[in-house]
Amino acid sequence: MTEDILALIKGNVIQGRVTQDDEGFDEGVVGQPGVSELTEKALARGIGLRDIINKGLTEGMDIVGQKFEAKEYYIPDMLASAEAVGAAMEILEPHLAKSGIKSKGKIIVATVEGDLHDIGKNIVSILLRGAGYMVKDLGNDVSPQTIVAAVIEEKPQFVGLSALLTSTMIHMRDTIQALTASGLRDKVKIIIGGAAVSEKFAQSIGADGYGADGFQAVRVTESLSSSKENKGGDHG
Amino acid sequence: MLVTCNGIEIDRKQVCRYLGYSADYKPPARILSLIDEYVEHAHHLIEPAYSYTIKNIERVEGSSVFIEGSIVFRSRVIAQLLEQCSKVLVFISTIGNRLEKKAYRLAEDGLIVQSAVLDAIGSSAAERVADFVQGRIGEMTDAQGLCISPRFSPGYCDWDISHQKMLFRAVGGKSTGVRLTEGCLMIPRKSVSAIIGIGLRSSNVEHYNPCKTCNKRDCPSRR
Repeated sequence: MTEDILALIKGNVIQGRVTQDDEGFDEGVVGQPGVSELTEKALARGIGLRDIINKGLTEGMDIVGQKFEAKEYYIPDMLASAEAVGAAMEILEPHLAKSGIKSKGKIIVATVEGDLHDIGKNIVSILLRGAGYMVKDLGNDVSPQTIVAAVIEEKPQFVGLSALLTSTMIHMRDTIQALTASGLRDKVKIIIGGAAVSEKFAQSIGADGYGADGFQAVRVTESLSSSKENKGGDHG
Repeated sequence: MLVTCNGIEIDRKQVCRYLGYSADYKPPARILSLIDEYVEHAHHLIEPAYSYTIKNIERVEGSSVFIEGSIVFRSRVIAQLLEQCSKVLVFISTIGNRLEKKAYRLAEDGLIVQSAVLDAIGSSAAERVADFVQGRIGEMTDAQGLCISPRFSPGYCDWDISHQKMLFRAVGGKSTGVRLTEGCLMIPRKSVSAIIGIGLRSSNVEHYNPCKTCNKRDCPSRR
């Protein structure tokens, strides 16, 4: 029974259905429970939070990621799935807080100074939340000083920076330099992404990782989490 | 000169392209019905406005174009176009900020698909308003026996985005409610600033296409 509900959560994440009123990627499923109803049901049945997240939401999103990379899914389809995961996480968060289950880590995300493009950053935020990270979104057009202040205040393990434009990506370097100047560089792992940037650029400015899309951003964060060199979280 | 143009038609295919769908792909029914729903909604959120000015081109030297009123554009692509023209039209157009505020609120409420759909509709509408301006200018110049080039905006090709300041100085952005950030992005975001070359029919400005000689084949704006 437990397996059935988790399989249904996974299936409906893949379909991108938040509630029973939603149509899925495939047609003709309106009326069947969506991820919200199924998550409530799973909680009522006493299914573990970790299982709901790992076997339902994360496994579902992994398949969505594969479909996205295979160009079977496009951005709106992936967003629908992310939306479903976001809705489930909202239901689960109070339970997670009560249960004392720790998040995988805290990440601050921001679109850098001068840039107003935030759709990509918002997608990454949702995917990271769905993957079990605590995300603090600073919004767009965020100055290096604001990011430094947020790192001091929030003590995250990761900082995610986004830029769409070649004219603004340079502020990623400024941000990294500001973190270095404030003695915070070795406290956080920095991951960058956005249309303008590349792996090569990430290396050139001294970032720790680069995500070409939202799924890669999550994978890079995961790999940096497990990295032995990770000094993140040591905020003294 | 400030003009409003209501009744902007939104191209659903263009909306699909802005959402990332390729031209030959039919999006799922739920996305198509969301587009229909939000296109209806968008008509109440779009407040089109544009403002333009026509200036004489004084001279072109290398990749610098000198325009009356101490306006200078520095770009090889723009210089190659404007050396075939006698005048240049500079315009700023927008759909206002109501649509993007609504899209932001949708995202805040976790409705990210709806937000992305409305945002793509806004991008399409902003292009349609710019198309409308271009059409009107085309009619006007046609009556005078002249023709117009495609439109070009700072930030594309080799034209640095900082030249937005020159365009805004020429037109005076305030009349449309569009302003520039320090990084030269426009607020409201769903705005277009561009130049259009005006030349004789015998010139080839109508078909000017710098992409033909550009090697950046993966450019998303390739024409």
